[in-house]
Amino acid sequence: MATITLSRVSKDYGGGPVLRGIDLEIREGEFVALMGPSGCGKSTLLRLIAGLEEPSGGQIHIDGRLVNDVAPKDRDLAMVFQSYALYPHMTVRENMSFALKQRRLPPAEITQAVEAAAVKLGLTNLLERKPKALSGGQRQRVAMGRAIVRNPKAFLFDEPLSNLDARLREQMRYEIRKLHRELGATSVYVTHDQVEAMTMADRIVALNDGAIQQVGSPQDLYDTPANLFVAGFLGSPPMNFLDATLAADGALVVEGQTLARVPPPAGLAPGATVTLGLRPERLALADPAEGVAARVDVVETTGTGQVAHLAIGAQRLKLFTMDGRRLAPGEVVGMVVPPDAPLLFDPGTGTRIA
Amino acid sequence: MSRALALKLEPYFYTAPSLLLIAAIMLVPLVTGLSYAFHDLILLDPLSGDFVGLDHFRELLDDDGFWTALRNTVVWTAVSVALQFTFGLILALLLNRPFPGRGLVQALVFLPWAVPGFLSGLTWAWLFNPVIGPLPHWLQGLGLLATPQNILSDPHLALWGPIAANVWWGIPFFAITLLAALQSIPKDIYEAAAMDGAGPLLRFRRVTLPLLAPTIAITVMLRTVWVANFAELIVVMTKGGPADATQILSSYIFTLAFQRLDFGYASAVAAVLLLLLLAYAAAVMVLRHAMTERA
Repeated sequence: MATITLSRVSKDYGGGPVLRGIDLEIREGEFVALMGPSGCGKSTLLRLIAGLEEPSGGQIHIDGRLVNDVAPKDRDLAMVFQSYALYPHMTVRENMSFALKQRRLPPAEITQAVEAAAVKLGLTNLLERKPKALSGGQRQRVAMGRAIVRNPKAFLFDEPLSNLDARLREQMRYEIRKLHRELGATSVYVTHDQVEAMTMADRIVALNDGAIQQVGSPQDLYDTPANLFVAGFLGSPPMNFLDATLAADGALVVEGQTLARVPPPAGLAPGATVTLGLRPERLALADPAEGVAARVDVVETTGTGQVAHLAIGAQRLKLFTMDGRRLAPGEVVGMVVPPDAPLLFDPGTGTRIA
Repeated sequence: MSRALALKLEPYFYTAPSLLLIAAIMLVPLVTGLSYAFHDLILLDPLSGDFVGLDHFRELLDDDGFWTALRNTVVWTAVSVALQFTFGLILALLLNRPFPGRGLVQALVFLPWAVPGFLSGLTWAWLFNPVIGPLPHWLQGLGLLATPQNILSDPHLALWGPIAANVWWGIPFFAITLLAALQSIPKDIYEAAAMDGAGPLLRFRRVTLPLLAPTIAITVMLRTVWVANFAELIVVMTKGGPADATQILSSYIFTLAFQRLDFGYASAVAAVLLLLLLAYAAAVMVLRHAMTERA
């Protein structure tokens, strides 16, 4: 188990910076998700921690030891690759014992460690098989097994579930989470999937364009996103963003209608334009006479409820409701915005104001 | 014709053109050639042509020229293929890592393959000539030769001349095929091995070599058969001499057939070479099968 500290870490392959000045402290036993869209630098950051790439600047410490110039094999970290990267010419047992053999552990000890891990992952019957004779889910388990037999300082996961189908992904999410609870090992998990980040991580590091946007617990990021990027990345259906004007009395005016009233934030002149963020599930339906009048465009049924695509003048937004009322396209409904629902962002910088 | 019979014959009907072609250009000449081995067939002797049974093969057993050629064939093939493979693998490993100008170097490295064997034999023969070539002087400078003599005219050393030319000429084949095989190994397997605690040497031994093994087996087999049959360099550089000291079986066959014009005896030697190569190929196939079964 280890702490991993990154200070001012940057990476440049020569075509402009991929990572710029990353500062991050990963605590012992913590499960941290590096989350962002493809190309945001999250995998590069993981590979820097692994030692598969060298940082262009900054320092990486593992357990207080500077590892910038330490080879991957001497960092004692285990990595689960997106492609699983199993050794195709070795059986499952050989795959899982490879690292232990490099350490020259006694054969009996290796057998014991491999078989214990196999039991944990349900691989006991597959130990003598070659990777090509396994299904995607089984390969994924072998990749996990190869990591856990080593009992490493930390686990690094590089989008390990993205090659699995949805059902298997959900199951593996649960199993990885359970393993983490049992082993208590520091884990860094790269994903572009906000559901994985939300459900699995103790803390999420939201990355965009090579820079950290926000670090915090999943709920923190969901409730109080630092900027438009984080707000838009988390949540499904995603947050609505509307162009609104803030009146002197704190009224948020969209297309001539007052959606809600907020205490006027300091530093904003009355009449200022803001980007108004509203989570679809925080909005409620009401009679057309009450609330804000909105026209129903399209209705999507999800089973647990309905997602209504609404139009207020020229602006569109989504509303998620679980009340059983049947909505019809073209119908005009009333919409109520609870006073604590609105999030205000600076339309220029994207930073959250209130 | 009944429908069932027609259906049964249908596949043979479709394959017939290619089977006929193969029979016409491969099987017929092969069988004809083999049949020569049992006939007394001398090209300019109108009285020859009798069936002689196994006489040629009995003659073989007492033919010093045959045994020298057989020994030389083994040395020539084993040394040439081993060195071609070793240098080809080293070259492939070097070319597999990126460096500036790699594309150009790759193209240059593969150049020898494009040179006709005949031409490279001539060039190497000149290189070994002390009057115009530098090699004898270099070999003397290295202490390998007492005087800058032409090794091609020394019965004990002459075979090394064509071997040197053959190694130079054959490296690109191994470099190309092994480089292709190397590039098909996913990079993340190496990364996984690095994370698992394996250094560069171990990664080579435990990842690269096992994953190259199928390619190595097939290319070494192909090249061995090829090189064993490859008389061109020897015919051009030494003509099998001095005093038949550098004959390999295939050049010996060439000499027997086209210089002594004894087609019957030459065919008998060729039949033996064919048998030896078939046995070798079968052994490699069995070995390879055993390996892949285990794998």
